[in-house]
Amino acid sequence: MAILEVQALSKRFEELEVLRQIDFSLEAGEALSIIGSSGSGKTTLLRCLNFLETPDAGRVLVHGETVFDAAETKKLSEAALRRRRLHFGLVFQNFNLFPQYTALENVRLAGLLLAKERPDFREKRKEIVAELNERAMFLLTDMGLADRAGHYPHQLSGGQQQRVAIARALALEPDILCFDEPTSALDPELTGEVLRVIRSLAEQRTTMIIVTHEMAFARDVADRAIFMDGGVIVEQGPAKEVIDHPREERTRQFLSRYGGLS
Amino acid sequence: MIGTVLGALNQGFLKTLQLFGVTLLGAIPLGLLISFGSMSKFQPLRWLTRTVVWIVRGTPLMLQLIILYYVPGQIMDASPWPMGENGRFLASAIAFIFNYACYFSEIFRGGIEGVPKGQREAGQVLGMTRGQIFFRVELMQMVKRIVPPISNEIITLVKDTSLARIIAYEELIKAGYDFLKGSHGYSGLLWPLFFTGVYYLLFSGLLTIAFNKTERRLDYFKV
Amino acid sequence: MKTRTSILALVLALVLCLGLAACGTAAQPAKDDSPASDLDYVKANGKLIVGITDFAPMDFQDADGNWIGFDADMATAFAESLGVQAVFQVIDWDNKLMELNGKTIDCVWNGMTLSAEVLAGMECSNAYCNNAQVVIVPAEVAADYQSAESVAGLQFAVEAGSVGKDVAEELGYTYTEVVDQATALLEVSSGTADAAIIDALMADAMVGEGTDYANLTYTVGLNTEEYGVGFRKGSDLAAALNAFFQSAYADGSLQACAELYGIEAALIAQ
Repeated sequence: MAILEVQALSKRFEELEVLRQIDFSLEAGEALSIIGSSGSGKTTLLRCLNFLETPDAGRVLVHGETVFDAAETKKLSEAALRRRRLHFGLVFQNFNLFPQYTALENVRLAGLLLAKERPDFREKRKEIVAELNERAMFLLTDMGLADRAGHYPHQLSGGQQQRVAIARALALEPDILCFDEPTSALDPELTGEVLRVIRSLAEQRTTMIIVTHEMAFARDVADRAIFMDGGVIVEQGPAKEVIDHPREERTRQFLSRYGGLS
Repeated sequence: MIGTVLGALNQGFLKTLQLFGVTLLGAIPLGLLISFGSMSKFQPLRWLTRTVVWIVRGTPLMLQLIILYYVPGQIMDASPWPMGENGRFLASAIAFIFNYACYFSEIFRGGIEGVPKGQREAGQVLGMTRGQIFFRVELMQMVKRIVPPISNEIITLVKDTSLARIIAYEELIKAGYDFLKGSHGYSGLLWPLFFTGVYYLLFSGLLTIAFNKTERRLDYFKV
Repeated sequence: MKTRTSILALVLALVLCLGLAACGTAAQPAKDDSPASDLDYVKANGKLIVGITDFAPMDFQDADGNWIGFDADMATAFAESLGVQAVFQVIDWDNKLMELNGKTIDCVWNGMTLSAEVLAGMECSNAYCNNAQVVIVPAEVAADYQSAESVAGLQFAVEAGSVGKDVAEELGYTYTEVVDQATALLEVSSGTADAAIIDALMADAMVGEGTDYANLTYTVGLNTEEYGVGFRKGSDLAAALNAFFQSAYADGSLQACAELYGIEAALIAQ
């Protein structure tokens, strides 16, 4: 069974239809890249999956269980919304690290706040905090940032900040990790270190959706690719086919503008 | 003579400090409340709050003091203010708290609106509640943003307390003036009035040191 | 860093303190180093700057904004007799001594009571007008407060530094000092004070029928006193004014002016 199913998702801002009847699914361990020009709706799609925008129509299922249904009229409680939200993780274009916390605290914060709601938190406080610290440290080490754990965001380079943000998203062990143009805000010489990290996550079979402008990366890392234009999915399929041998004219035009590829 | 003067000035300074302290304690929470009102999604409330802030910031505090203290007794049969010093302190405190809350509210609003939207969104996707996002993520960033402008307002408040003299609240400047008017058996003494400047200067100096310390303590991160 | 800032603050404060104290003592006894003749100083300037407040019927403005009143008219005539022009300068009554010694005015001519403080700080003319300090109360309770004893328990408003304040202090009344006599009246009409003590001449003009304080009236007089004109300490202008008053009284112009403003009963013979 697919880990994620998106059915007929639509979203409009005032008169503008940003998403129209979006349908796709994702298998566990798969990496999906979404490409398309600015304004094609790819970022809005990610934001809808992460409950930062509310779609006007459609459904989202995770593990076959409905996490969003536009037809569902009653408002969700904050707690229920949070539970559903945690199926997804999101890495932002401009990191959005919390500036007043160190790298380690950034990674640990959300987990600590969730742990405080556990009934046994008071008695097991020390063990739980130690466990969270260990896990955060492990993730930072994985990102090659063991020696930066005590640094504040402004003391880190853009590439380092984005790697902390990835560790922060991974800390909550989401079913699906989403990236919203993770290297667009970086200087060209810093994109490599971030792309390497995402590539290694793909090799570990992390389920991911990556919105990106890096075509070569989208082709090499992702199993499948979706090309969006004007709020609709124009073409989807195996990443290498969509990017190297597009069937649709609109896809070809888009890819030719990102010349130098294929 | 110097003993008498300093004694009287100390007394006046104490009254100045009382008005200063009460204003600060009242105006900060009230200012926060007003700033929430001015950002409310409910339009009539937002409109009302912003109008009140406009009126309070657009008229002199001295006039507000006179109106607040004298007008009720003109309209009603008796003045609602307690007779004597207590009533004058109460009226001064209310006028100052309300006036400064309106100034503070604009600073708070700027501080809250200045926190990037991405910070809240990052908290949301990490499953934080609205309260957690405000207290754990946004508050410190807001505090760091508002410390410099609030410090300025507080230093201004130290000096503005002298306006309460208009309804005969016996603060420091009034204590200094008294020696010009033949109080305490001395008449035409000028230097006590000038000397009050030393009190203001020392006190605002202390506050400046405290504010600098606070700013340095928040230096560990950048927003 | 921290200690350096505090030391700096302290040094600044001390410098200011010394500077202000020095300037305070220098400003105060301006009497000593004033020019040999104040009369010559005024003549050289070509004008006599008269310090006043808005105080009917002594100094107030007519419909065209010219200063008139018993004091204003006499000041104009006195300046003319010296061959200079009278210029009226409204001052803060609290700062009259500072204004005088700072030479921003040349005299205080504004129904000023010749109190001990005034006599100590200024060179004063002879008294020219009688006055009293009277108690102002709401008209509806006036019947209960016709003696100095009956008003003893009231909460008073008095002008800071005024004779009314001295009287209240002498009689042991409970009082609050406000910035001027008009505010003292405002206190009574607002109910924030039970009664006020102000000049009888001002009470005549400002309370009762036809004024904004129609609900107020004056009852008991607490003392009697006299008005005079104040100059800088040691000034020869005081003697010049005394001579002017005598000649004006002799030719009847002083009496005529007093009649014009309805204070002839209070005028003192020169």
